[in-house]
Amino acid sequence: MSTTAAPAPGASRQDLTLLEEHWGERPSLRSWFSTVDHKRIGRRYLVTAGLFFFLAGVSALTMRTQLARPESRLLSPQEYNQLFTMHGTAMIFLFATPMLFGFGNFLVPLMIGSRDMAFPKLNAFGYWVFLLAGLFMWVSLPFGAAPNAGWFAYVPLTERVNTPGLHLDVYSLGLLFLGIATTAASINFIVTALKLRAPGMSLNRVPLFVWAIVATAFMVIFALPALNLDNAMLFLDRRFGTHFFDPGAAGNVLLWQHLFWIFGHPDVYIIVMPALGIVSAVLPAFTRRGVVGYPLIVLAIVTIAIISFGVWVHHMFATGLPRLSYSFFSAASSIITIPSGIQIFAWLATMALGRLVLKVPLLYLIGFIVTFVLGGFTGAMFALTAFDQQVTDSYFVVAHFHYVLIGGAVFPMLAGIYYWLPKITGRMYHEGLGRWAFWLVFAGMHVTFFPMHLYGLFGMPRRVYTYRSEPGWDAWNLVSTIGSYLLAIGLLLVLIGVVHAIRRGRPAPPDPWGGDSLEWSTESPPKPYNFPVLPEVHSLHPTWDEPSRESMGAGATEDRILAEGRRTLFTSELDGRRERVVEMPEASLQPLVLALALLVFFTTMLFAWYPVAIAAVVVVAATIGVWLWPPRRPERELGVST
Amino acid sequence: MSAHPGPRARLAGGLLLWYAVLGGAVAWAVHLFAAWGVDELTCASGRERIGALPLQAVVAIAVVLPALATVGALLAAALVWRRTAHPPEGLDEHPVRRSRLLAVVAIWSNLLFLAIIVLGGAALLVLPPCLR
Amino acid sequence: MSTRGGIAAATGTEALTTELPVGRSTGWWGMVMFVATEATLFACLLGSYFYLRFQHGGSWPPGDISKPKLLVPLVMTGVLLPSSLPVVWAEHGIRKGQRWRLRAGLAATLVMGATFLILQASEYADKLREFTITTNAYGSLFFVITGFHGLHVLVGLTMISWLLAASLRGGSFGAHRHDRVRNAAIYWHFVDVVWAAILFTIYLSPRL
Ligand code: HEM
Ligand SMILES: [Cu+2]
Repeated sequence: MSTTAAPAPGASRQDLTLLEEHWGERPSLRSWFSTVDHKRIGRRYLVTAGLFFFLAGVSALTMRTQLARPESRLLSPQEYNQLFTMHGTAMIFLFATPMLFGFGNFLVPLMIGSRDMAFPKLNAFGYWVFLLAGLFMWVSLPFGAAPNAGWFAYVPLTERVNTPGLHLDVYSLGLLFLGIATTAASINFIVTALKLRAPGMSLNRVPLFVWAIVATAFMVIFALPALNLDNAMLFLDRRFGTHFFDPGAAGNVLLWQHLFWIFGHPDVYIIVMPALGIVSAVLPAFTRRGVVGYPLIVLAIVTIAIISFGVWVHHMFATGLPRLSYSFFSAASSIITIPSGIQIFAWLATMALGRLVLKVPLLYLIGFIVTFVLGGFTGAMFALTAFDQQVTDSYFVVAHFHYVLIGGAVFPMLAGIYYWLPKITGRMYHEGLGRWAFWLVFAGMHVTFFPMHLYGLFGMPRRVYTYRSEPGWDAWNLVSTIGSYLLAIGLLLVLIGVVHAIRRGRPAPPDPWGGDSLEWSTESPPKPYNFPVLPEVHSLHPTWDEPSRESMGAGATEDRILAEGRRTLFTSELDGRRERVVEMPEASLQPLVLALALLVFFTTMLFAWYPVAIAAVVVVAATIGVWLWPPRRPERELGVST
Repeated sequence: MSAHPGPRARLAGGLLLWYAVLGGAVAWAVHLFAAWGVDELTCASGRERIGALPLQAVVAIAVVLPALATVGALLAAALVWRRTAHPPEGLDEHPVRRSRLLAVVAIWSNLLFLAIIVLGGAALLVLPPCLR
Repeated sequence: MSTRGGIAAATGTEALTTELPVGRSTGWWGMVMFVATEATLFACLLGSYFYLRFQHGGSWPPGDISKPKLLVPLVMTGVLLPSSLPVVWAEHGIRKGQRWRLRAGLAATLVMGATFLILQASEYADKLREFTITTNAYGSLFFVITGFHGLHVLVGLTMISWLLAASLRGGSFGAHRHDRVRNAAIYWHFVDVVWAAILFTIYLSPRL
């Protein structure tokens, strides 16, 4: 089923030299800023999102330290507000989605057998915007100007009269800025998956991870505009005196909530969906078989993506909808559990029918299932309205969504990090160290968050900077804090494991696990051109099947080597039939320039230096104009009639 | 049967496949917006009739028509599923296998969407339209 | 090879498994996705208008703002909607390699789009005497919705001028190279269609 031998390159030495010449980048400062290689960009996404995770994690540890004992004076209420807001906002927007998009960037072209993303320069641009938008938001914290009204920033609290200062302007502008990156990346994923799949990869052979990323990208396309509009209105209300959310002047505060949750509910799935894709991608290698029920998992991915748009109203119990209208939404809320359940059962069946290989990635997958199911269980408890009203805004809720988010996103990501580390860095990690880290993370997570259910039920509200000594609160809070330190040590060990692998790890073979998808059919780490010969796909598990592997070996035809330039293949949308050879763009500084111009725009908007902002817009337009300017071609090639 | 379908037949067939795959989803979206919007707006204006029709009847239409459209999509999906079970000799197998996957996904997703529409619509039988 | 038509043919295996959509370029898909996300943005914006209007309950427009007059917006519509036609004509021209049609069509659209913006400026001058963006939520909605659309027209016009400049240089477009023309055309059509939705929402619906 698996081979560990290097893929026999079907390309001649001469072809390889040519490919290296067209795709390779000599290390230099310029190439560092101008690269458009999806693997470098993907790595940067992972590292940058990791950095923001670190910052948000340190914020959380600070909060937990403050909450270890009643009436502690480590943090002022103002500082605490900024910390929990930045923690939540960064975890959701600057860590979870970008981290998963980092995996997507690195893996999607490899998994579909292409040489890059559909729009490599747009890809680089998206990364720079993400980095700058993240810094834009975090820099406000040391100045005491960070967002401070919770990650969902409800009006009227966030209107200028109630929260003066820059706090919420940083929030709204920062998220608008970041939204550009997320949208660009999503469009890129969709188009890449539609047009750049290797010949033969018809829709029924697309890896589940790619399905998940594409579904996520579609959700972003249709959900993010609601958030962007919301933030734009908030900014206009605060800065230019509009009245969208002002009930005194025909506005309405509930408008914010509706728009926020039209985005926010799908966003839960935007975060979890690609993580579940990682689960489906990792499982085959450690159960020695394909995931059970491929069509059903595709079904689950597609239907969850769609139904998640129809359930936002459940976040607003208190808003007085007619009960009949409410029932249309709750029908959707209850049915969406079916596809989620299908996925879990498909994975359990895969494990039951397969031969388990208990390596670190599989440990995280098991940790994921346990934690995620517990989180889903407490989620189902909210469906009882009476219970929901009892625990709303208590620590019970905090416990619930950390089970879902850490279980449903962080554990799969950690599985993914260990699983693809050999592919990304070309080095193996230390198994023993990895196990220690896993058990610390797993135990730390449950010791931190399980007690929150309890003191939540005992009535402790969320978002308080301190509390009076109450029966049942003090001891369990201390337990939570100890747990969070355990968790932090575990995560530190993960980091040490990664650094150790890069420095000291054994060199990784192309396919250390016997994985099934195409990234395991090329070197570790892959060459800049990914595949010396673009594969021809004959099944859902191309690395496991002989004809697909042979298509890259000796006897490969010239039309899949394409060494005469920086080229890759377009194939047809549904059936993956070969269409034509295309030239891919070279490295360029334009993406960085464009992102910097946008940074100037958003910064000057923040500080109300509008003339500079207008100048920045001109630079943006000019850069795009130059970027897309058509190259001059001879009339014959263009086909001009006179 | 050896003749190939013409371009118009191909277009119709291709569209029929997409109706099978997405019909239920679109019908559900229309149902949700129509039923919720009509109910919410009419109740907010303090009435329980729209023109000559009682509100309940209008909401019922916004349930039944999308449900029927979903059933149609379900039938179309079943047709594609049957047509791809034993493809005639000499046909390229790529599109057939791909369509078969889509047909399986379509059948189950239409059933899910039908369930949502029917469940939500069933509330119409027990709840007065403007009760809060 | 003979071909068949009719229902039997359309529901046969071969027709049902026809690959559709097929053969589009990455640029086309990219633009379509971009337009899809922008359209969602406008849908949310117009949805907010109706939400605020119906939640407000009282008379609409609120305060002493009168119902919008129709003459200028109808003229604006009369200028903007047909401006898609020269683009279509230009695009068909360049597909046949006729560069003069491309240039003439783009220039015509440019003139019509600019006229639209001038009319909008006069409309604003008129409205600003009655209410501003800070008067109440209606004023905010009015100026933000129409202003945001006006911004899109401006972006569209920038694209068109950019295409025109490239086509005047020569060596840019021809029968085999017109992706950029088509993508900009998609965007322009989108801006047009959105205007129709805005006309209905802002100008016509208060009279219903
Ligand atoms: C790494 C370990 C983590 C710890 C120790 C931790 C701790 C906390 C604590 C103590 C709060 C509550 C603050 C309060 O209500 O007063 C909180 C809130 C929150 N956390 Fe975490 N968290 C962790 C990881 C995560 C992750 C991975 C995510 C998401 C991917 C996340 C998302 C959130 C969100 C959205 C909030 C709500 C913020 C708000 O109330 O506006 N957390 N976290
Ligand atoms: Cu929700």
